[in-house]
Amino acid sequence: MDPPGAAWRDLIVFRAAPRPRQELWLSIGAFLAVLIVWLIVAESGLVHPQILPSPRAVMAAWWRLFTEAEYISDIGISVARVWAAFLASAVIAIPLGILMSGYRAITALFEPIIDFVRYLPVPALVPLTLIWLGIGEGSKVTLLWIGTFFQLILLIADDARRVPKEFIETGRTLGASDTALMKDVLLRAMLPNMVDSLRITLGWCWTYLIVAEIVASSSGIGYELWTARRYGKSPEVFAGILTIGIIGLASDQAIRFLHRRWFRYLH
Amino acid sequence: MANSSFIRIAQVAKEFTAPDGSIIPVVEPLSIDVQEGEFVVFVGPSGCGKTTVMRMVGGLETTSAGDIYLNGKRVEGPNRDKGMVFQSYSSFPWLTVLGNIRFGLKYRDDISADEKERIARHYLDLVGLTPFADYTINRISGGMRQRVAIARTLAANPLVLLMDEPFGALDALSRERLQIQLMDLRRAERKTVIFVTHDVDEAVLLADRIIVFSARPARVLADIAVSATLPEKRSLDILDIPEFRKIRRDVLALIRNEETRMEAAE
Repeated sequence: MDPPGAAWRDLIVFRAAPRPRQELWLSIGAFLAVLIVWLIVAESGLVHPQILPSPRAVMAAWWRLFTEAEYISDIGISVARVWAAFLASAVIAIPLGILMSGYRAITALFEPIIDFVRYLPVPALVPLTLIWLGIGEGSKVTLLWIGTFFQLILLIADDARRVPKEFIETGRTLGASDTALMKDVLLRAMLPNMVDSLRITLGWCWTYLIVAEIVASSSGIGYELWTARRYGKSPEVFAGILTIGIIGLASDQAIRFLHRRWFRYLH
Repeated sequence: MANSSFIRIAQVAKEFTAPDGSIIPVVEPLSIDVQEGEFVVFVGPSGCGKTTVMRMVGGLETTSAGDIYLNGKRVEGPNRDKGMVFQSYSSFPWLTVLGNIRFGLKYRDDISADEKERIARHYLDLVGLTPFADYTINRISGGMRQRVAIARTLAANPLVLLMDEPFGALDALSRERLQIQLMDLRRAERKTVIFVTHDVDEAVLLADRIIVFSARPARVLADIAVSATLPEKRSLDILDIPEFRKIRRDVLALIRNEETRMEAAE
């Protein structure tokens, strides 16, 4: 039996055993602490409300956005753009990344192009996507796709390369063909790491979404955020930022939850 | 040379190219013949190339010179004829114990699904893991994992079983238990086995025949017919009989001599 307080003390012992309950409370505490500091600073009048609106003003702005500005449909369209681009990236990057990990010719063909595009700053491509695809959904989804696909494919190829050689050789000596080997052994072995790579990529999609929606859009969270800035409505700007943060946090936690469910053998 | 041997390693050599372009000979041209049903153990100083020889038999490495024949056919890459058990745990963590053994039969199209299930359960039982059939791999011990790997490989019904220090990572007690089990399994199955180890006790205990390799580049230093002096059915008691100790002493002396020679050369 642990002495009282031992669980809490473990949190500050180097490499101590995990204490999930205490860690959760600490995380919630940190979140609340930021909120309280924000509340105190904003309400004290030390900072101009234009610079730092109070949490209450932000809540009110949120309410206005949902009731008066059809914010739900803005959120819906932003989520749809992110997922369209994310799925388009994943559907191509997963098979291509796996092939790149296994066939030198495919790596030699694609890697220089991928590395070149990977280093281009995505905002710099906005004028191009606008010229090519106009201001419709196509240009926004394409921008997000460019921003994520070229990163994701290298992550997937790395995940595939990290599968132990013994797994592949075991598959071969049990009579698996190349296709069977990729499907039944490689893909299955890399799956947990791949889900993590996809989770990280989904986060990047949100980063580029705001770029796309600020520059050329008449809908979406990014558009509303930018419009609010133009009219100096900083509570609405804060509400927009918090909305993105909450959606990001929720989808990240959802994928982590699924990861624990699907890959119980790792946890 | 007669072409009747079950496995024929004929003037096989292996060299690697170092990053600076120089050629490093790993295996000098050597020839070994293995008869069907024979249990051959490769021993030698660490890093001598004995594993490379075995991997070439398995088709997992190409030969730089010479050819290897299994049952009259030239070895041209890995397939189901050459089953492999690795030192590291190679059981698939996303499958259960039984699921892993079933995987050994996945690519056999010569038998029905019912027959596959029967064979999988037969080997599950043979390695004593029936009570653990539905356990995932992370919940069983290292010794059990190696039993899963052995059962999975046997279920694929290979012509030869290649084992690369399969018990090297186990504690002494698990290792002894698996050695006894392997001897029983092997008597029941009459499989041809090539077994690589650096544990001389293990080599003498298991082998019909021990091939002692030199330090790198590998040459055959000695080819010892253990079954000529030791009984076929053995237990751990054999470790105390004089014949066992003599073979053990001879093999150890050869390896020690090689290691001293290597140190002197450096």
